[in-house]
Amino acid sequence: MAFSKNPTLSHRPANPQDLLRRREALIGLLFLSPWMLGFVLLKLAPILASLAFSFTDFYMLTPEATQFVGLQNYLRALGDINAGASLGGSLGYFLFTVPVQLLAALALAAVFSSDRLRGKVALRPLFFMPSIIPAAAILFIYLGFVEPRTGWLNRLIMEPLGLPPVPGPFTGMSFTILLGLMAMWSIGPGFLIMYGAMQSIPREIIEAARVDGAGPFSRFVFISLPMISPAIFFALVINLTSAFGGTVLLDRGYLFSFSLSPMEGYINTMMFNRFELGYAAALAWIMFAVTITITLFLFRSARRWVYFPNEDDREEI
Amino acid sequence: MKKFNWKSLSLFKNSGASALTFRAWEFTGTAMVNLFIFTLLAAYLSPLVYMVATSLKEKQQLRDSSAPLYPARQVEFEYEGKSYPVLEVPTEAGIQHWAIITHTRTRTSAKFIDPANPEAGPIAWQGNWRELKTVYTPYATFDNFIHLWTAAKFPLTIKNTLIIAVISEIGVLLASIAVAYGFSRFRIPGGKWLFLLLIATILIPESITLVPTYFFYVRVLEWNGTWYPLIAPHLFGNAIYIFLLRQNFKSIPKDLDEAAMLDGAGPLRILFSIILPQAIPAVATVALLHFFYTWNELRQASLYLGIVPNLRTVSFNVQTYQTLTFTPETLQASALLVMVVPVLVLFVFQRFFMQDMVVTGMEK
Repeated sequence: MAFSKNPTLSHRPANPQDLLRRREALIGLLFLSPWMLGFVLLKLAPILASLAFSFTDFYMLTPEATQFVGLQNYLRALGDINAGASLGGSLGYFLFTVPVQLLAALALAAVFSSDRLRGKVALRPLFFMPSIIPAAAILFIYLGFVEPRTGWLNRLIMEPLGLPPVPGPFTGMSFTILLGLMAMWSIGPGFLIMYGAMQSIPREIIEAARVDGAGPFSRFVFISLPMISPAIFFALVINLTSAFGGTVLLDRGYLFSFSLSPMEGYINTMMFNRFELGYAAALAWIMFAVTITITLFLFRSARRWVYFPNEDDREEI
Repeated sequence: MKKFNWKSLSLFKNSGASALTFRAWEFTGTAMVNLFIFTLLAAYLSPLVYMVATSLKEKQQLRDSSAPLYPARQVEFEYEGKSYPVLEVPTEAGIQHWAIITHTRTRTSAKFIDPANPEAGPIAWQGNWRELKTVYTPYATFDNFIHLWTAAKFPLTIKNTLIIAVISEIGVLLASIAVAYGFSRFRIPGGKWLFLLLIATILIPESITLVPTYFFYVRVLEWNGTWYPLIAPHLFGNAIYIFLLRQNFKSIPKDLDEAAMLDGAGPLRILFSIILPQAIPAVATVALLHFFYTWNELRQASLYLGIVPNLRTVSFNVQTYQTLTFTPETLQASALLVMVVPVLVLFVFQRFFMQDMVVTGMEK
């Protein structure tokens, strides 16, 4: 049969193995159908349209004058020093947020999984709360913290400790503080994911290791970490996408004009300030090429370190 | 810090010390973990403390740079029909809180009145009155909240956002669970390419598909001024949640569903009675994240709900209100009001993360 994967069995008109396989695939596709339907109905056309725009000089104020310009936008991006800088900035942002958001979230989740911690019911929401402060408010909290004369940082920490005051809000040192505070205050989703994954580890496995004499540290490294490696992998990919301006897990209610990701910020400037949709689309597709390459590399590496209990489930891409 | 505890604990185990030492270590470990977490908590709560403090302040205090960090107001004393600010005056009898009534231009002397003893009349004082500190008393006002509640139409917009959130929550959960199940439990020819496509949709920035999407929703489907653009995309599942759930479903061993399959259970039954009960923490995570997403979502709402004030969501309406009348104290107050519902939801939903406690409780 044409559908059969096994050539030795193909002479039989309908062998049961084959039918079962086809049935499994069919049911599987049925479960995938909501997403596939949504993709075809709502996503595919806009994605193709943006790909088409990237080959035109689409200017949003005069859409009727749009002309096909071939690879011109892509060539312009290659020579655009700001595009290169924002791509590098996004890469740096990714390398910065991964240790903070991933490792810190993991450490916090590990502490929260300890039986020693008291008052978890109250503590969990409190640690998550900074992550849902709306974007506008958090900007002014930051300004209130680093204002040179009345800022909390200077009046409550630097002055009592006899340290030199932190300078105004948008200077080098303060910008590092901003990134640090923002990363720390956005730990919520990562924490939830890691913590949820840790809660899914069957208690029996950990108990068995404890009985066998494994200390807390080795229990964490040799049992908890491999068991939650799929969640760690997920967090890694999501950190990558949000650093490069793809979908973010945490939405504080940013307007289009604002983004923490340098690359998305640059694309949005091109689009919403300069209205050059054609060029913005080309930038986005170049960025997509970069991120999908990194993602494929991550999936490749996942075969080695992401653990799934079912042997045939290893990451395949 | 934790590492230290663990080592010391295992050290004790090898040496076989007495039960008393064990208990002492146990206590120290617990104390240190808690101390560590509570120190960290201070850093995490600082923005919220700042929000609360600012939202309770009056406008005058925010203009006054010598004012304390907590909500306060200048102390004034009324004398002969007029009110005068109270200052900290150094005198021979220590620092006195006196109200200043007149002062010289040369900043060398001033006349004060003692609020505790106004009958004594004005007291002359020599020195630079400009350098004296103002006396403040803690004073909190809830006016910012009360004013906002009606001015920014909180009751209406909270209702709107809740309706949108609940509908899209149900849709996104059902669809994402089904798709994640399809990706994690079925061998589909080309399945890995479909999954790669799913990941690719996460990587494409939203802003770049915005114009064609807007055109499609507004011109083709005529959805402008309705909630459909905010709800419909989620009914087909969300790629991020599908990815997260797929990771979780895949880490559940297949033994149980294979056993159930042999007993004649269909795919839906396996999903609901075997996979989902083991995946409750992950499903709860997705449910919470999606709720916070819908609650704070501003971009789509501002695109499609601009023309219908009565259908606006909380975050959009607050944003509009802030653009028109901006002050720091109302901004923080409005942000706190916006956060009330998500925090309540968080407190209620966290029960689903407490599974471990229940299981160990049963075992004992």
